[in-house]
Amino acid sequence: MRIALAVIAAALIGLPYLGLPAFYESFGYLLLSAIVLATSWNVLSGYSGYFSFGHGAFFGVGVYTTAALAGKLGWNFLWTLPLAALAATVLGVALGAIVFRVRSLRGELFALLTLAITFVLATIALNAVDGGPGIMVTVDMPKIAPTASGVIYLMMLAAAALTLWTAYAMYHSRFGTGLFAIHDDEDVAEVMGVPTYRFKLAAFAISCALAGLAGGIHAIFVSYVTVAETFSIALAVNVVLMSALGGTRHWLGPAVGAIAITVLLYAFTSGNAAVVGRALTGLILIVVIVAMPEGILGQILKRFRDRAPARAQVARPFGNVNNVNTSGEPLLVVRGVAKAFKGVQALASVDLEVRRGEILGLVGPNGSGKSTLINVVSGHHVADAGSILFEGEELVGRPAHRIARAGIARTYQIPRPFPQLTVLQNVALPPMFGQVVMDRARAEEEAWRWLAFTGLDAKAHRFPADLNLHERKFLELARALASRPKLLFLDEVLSGLTPAEMDDALRLIRAIRDQGATIVFVEHVMRAVMELTDRVAVLTYGKAIAEGVPAEVMRHPEVVSAYLGAAHV
Amino acid sequence: MYELASVAVNYGAAAAVSDVNLRIGAGELVVVVGPNGAGKSTLINAMAGLHAVASGRLVIDGEDITREPPHRFCDRGIAIVPEGRRLFVNLTVRENLELGSYRAGARMMRIESLRRVCALFPVLAERMDTPAGALSGGQQQMVAIGRALMARPRFLLLDEPSLGLSPMITEDVFRAIREINNEGVAVMLVEQNVAVALELARRAYVLDEGCIAAEGEPRQLMSQPQIQRAYLGT
Amino acid sequence: MPSATLLGQSVLSGIFIGSLYGLLGLGLSLSWGMLRQVNLAHFALAFLGGYLTFQLSGRLDPFVTLAVVAPLFFLAGMGLHWFLTRFSVSLLNTLLVTFGLTSIIEAGIQWYWTADFHRMENAYAAVRWKVGPLFVSLPDLLTLGFALVLSLGAWAVLRFTDLGKAIRATTEDAPIAAAFGVNEKLLGYLVSGLAAAVAAVAGLCLALNHTLAPVQIYAWMGVVFAAVMMGGLGRPIGPLVAGIVIGVSEALTMAVTNPTWAPLVSFSLLIALLLFRPARF
Repeated sequence: MRIALAVIAAALIGLPYLGLPAFYESFGYLLLSAIVLATSWNVLSGYSGYFSFGHGAFFGVGVYTTAALAGKLGWNFLWTLPLAALAATVLGVALGAIVFRVRSLRGELFALLTLAITFVLATIALNAVDGGPGIMVTVDMPKIAPTASGVIYLMMLAAAALTLWTAYAMYHSRFGTGLFAIHDDEDVAEVMGVPTYRFKLAAFAISCALAGLAGGIHAIFVSYVTVAETFSIALAVNVVLMSALGGTRHWLGPAVGAIAITVLLYAFTSGNAAVVGRALTGLILIVVIVAMPEGILGQILKRFRDRAPARAQVARPFGNVNNVNTSGEPLLVVRGVAKAFKGVQALASVDLEVRRGEILGLVGPNGSGKSTLINVVSGHHVADAGSILFEGEELVGRPAHRIARAGIARTYQIPRPFPQLTVLQNVALPPMFGQVVMDRARAEEEAWRWLAFTGLDAKAHRFPADLNLHERKFLELARALASRPKLLFLDEVLSGLTPAEMDDALRLIRAIRDQGATIVFVEHVMRAVMELTDRVAVLTYGKAIAEGVPAEVMRHPEVVSAYLGAAHV
Repeated sequence: MYELASVAVNYGAAAAVSDVNLRIGAGELVVVVGPNGAGKSTLINAMAGLHAVASGRLVIDGEDITREPPHRFCDRGIAIVPEGRRLFVNLTVRENLELGSYRAGARMMRIESLRRVCALFPVLAERMDTPAGALSGGQQQMVAIGRALMARPRFLLLDEPSLGLSPMITEDVFRAIREINNEGVAVMLVEQNVAVALELARRAYVLDEGCIAAEGEPRQLMSQPQIQRAYLGT
Repeated sequence: MPSATLLGQSVLSGIFIGSLYGLLGLGLSLSWGMLRQVNLAHFALAFLGGYLTFQLSGRLDPFVTLAVVAPLFFLAGMGLHWFLTRFSVSLLNTLLVTFGLTSIIEAGIQWYWTADFHRMENAYAAVRWKVGPLFVSLPDLLTLGFALVLSLGAWAVLRFTDLGKAIRATTEDAPIAAAFGVNEKLLGYLVSGLAAAVAAVAGLCLALNHTLAPVQIYAWMGVVFAAVMMGGLGRPIGPLVAGIVIGVSEALTMAVTNPTWAPLVSFSLLIALLLFRPARF
């Protein structure tokens, strides 16, 4: 593998020195430029799911920065390249800072805003910089290759190498995993500790920087820059097409698509053929979106994945845990918490105390507010009133990812795994963003441990869709445990399980407490609640009406009437 | 009569409801109770055409409606008050009610139906042009019931109407349900609030883990120890 | 500082161009808001309608052409809806698919009519009136007229008729609407067919008032989307009002400063709205 790469690299670098006609260098330049643009687009849009239709805008900013500085002001073009990248980045970050703040502004609006920005920038370029006829860019090339076009080719080769390396590094880092999680389920990602706003902004910045760099080099390549050619919509569409064709989930996908499309478009270069080329591009886009949602590379990889055996790793067993603290001191203190949604008071005024090292059952009729309470404590919703103290610190008002960092984890009633991450990746995510921030390798090690603990290690490389309900619930559990939380909320983890599976689950939960976690166990299956919990709290109509030892609480007259009706008290 | 014969419904890949046989006679008031996760909502949604039936038959007055498209169920005289109300929140109360009578058979009687709903729930009369989303929980429940009534159903299906409501409003709602039943509309009620459900019905089914665990007179059922244990664990 | 007459004429022309934005935005807003399909091909379709009107203008009166083209486009709209639902295309992907469709239509237009600019000769353009010191042409009025009639008509249908309420209900909660007898599939076809038919009308107005060129298809996208977003998705009168606001702002900008700053206006308004009223989105 390494040798093959070295040979390819040598061939690419050596191209300008082979004395071939200039056409090869130009074509090579176009291929590399397409690779840079598609890959840099994908780093934001493919990874995070925020489709940008304005990649052309940032490319154009780079073009015009270099054109203006080198062409009009006569600067050394090498200095203009980093500035081109910087200008594009600044623009991207400014736009992203505004747009990403709006919580409800998801996919399609972002796409259209970025589309609009292309036109805006074209206007500014036309008026302020260009003045109409275009800018001439003539520069002195350093003599590192026989021809000027050879030098430009080498520059773009360097840019391509940089871009691919960036995409690769991001893909394998916790940054990339966070972005993929945002793509799948941004809310859950935030609750698991991913700083979604910051990550989106960072990915956007990187994407723009690379596009700007490519733009700067392009200004030198074309040597005569006009608005119409630079800010065309074709670029914006083509990068989407290339990435979709190759596969947006993989760092190399866009490059594959870029090569395919460039070669294809090259076949239609002049006059009428160009028109056919555009129609064909449109048709391919439609077919790819509908028939090959994963792209070429994606489909190939999928075939390999299905055949590969599960590479089970022997997980190190847990050592004796000495820090089991059953001191009984309060860990979480909820006072007067209220939360209303459109006309329904879900939580009226909840007072609750969770003691360190215990398993507290949280029960109550449907609609009594149990899930809402979990959502409020974990930061999914903000409480209207009241205070929530965790280890003495106030949680109300903190962003969800910081609450996760503090050591609180939860499962979802209806499992919400990240559908396009493998089981292993799902479980490896919280340790990367939890209390102790781990890098990917250590996080995966940690994940293997929890997969073994929950019996899912054989399915580590499968996707959540391949699991049955029981396994998916355990996946939720493993994922919540992986961040070694101090406080764990289990939201109806037993519903839908057979009695045998339920016993499994109960055993697991006890083992978790023995590891040192405090557990709040929301459940309807009364048998489980009676068997498992140290104390029980009962919620009805958004208020806690009883808290204490299970046998006593469940005989409490108010509780009996809440469940069975007054006649049976 | 609305009859279910060996009906099984899946929720995703798992079986939520299996081999259910039940029936609602004309003008009857039947209650389905059961602990959470028993499959009550899935069952009632299937009866309203909101959820596909995996096997078995839904039969109304002798006609098999199991494979009919969802928008045809109301023509058969079925109307549902779904769990969580599911009003059209951006439409006004009046528009929600009018939509209830969208089907051709009910449209002609719209004005009279509106009058009846307002008589039943006077508090709505003053709020006809308010967006439904701005109402309180109890008022929304009234709109949801009113909307179903506008369809002039013969079988009214209610899924946990007391969910999220205070005890006082719950009483109002159940009083209205009793009145509706007295006027000849058959009612099937899925309820978790066993207390009130018991007072209403003469016949109850207990659903547990997707199957009918018991059928009979409500008070009798609830004093059975295994039913009590399913609810309370003691 | 320009004269009052110039400003007045600018405002007037801003209203007229704004009404065309609104007309283009109407179909788009309805299918986006009601059907969750972002139909970028709407613009290409409108231009196609304009080109067809232009092509037949020698032999047929443009309104007769419209009578033929609009029903055809209605069918095309239904066909697109069928395709998007048959393949369960997600909202974001409808953007991509319709962009592909745009490329195909645009290529087709360029193939047949070339990339040259075309201007339709028609008797209507010559009709002008003088209102005080200001000029108003018939095509302008026709555009405004169409925009008003169609937008208000759509609003009235949505607000007052059973069908309109059914459409609004389906947008919010399709399964429950179905439980009350609403055939959401049929409604989907109706809405997308009508949206495409409106594109045909927009095409007529384009042909009457503006020069046609394939590259122009993309020029309108940005500003019309801004009008749609500002007007609120699925609200028929929204794009018209927002369009006129944008149009007038652009026209005044053009009158007071350099004309080429105009495209900046709509985008700035949109950004401002995002900054200060994010709840709208």
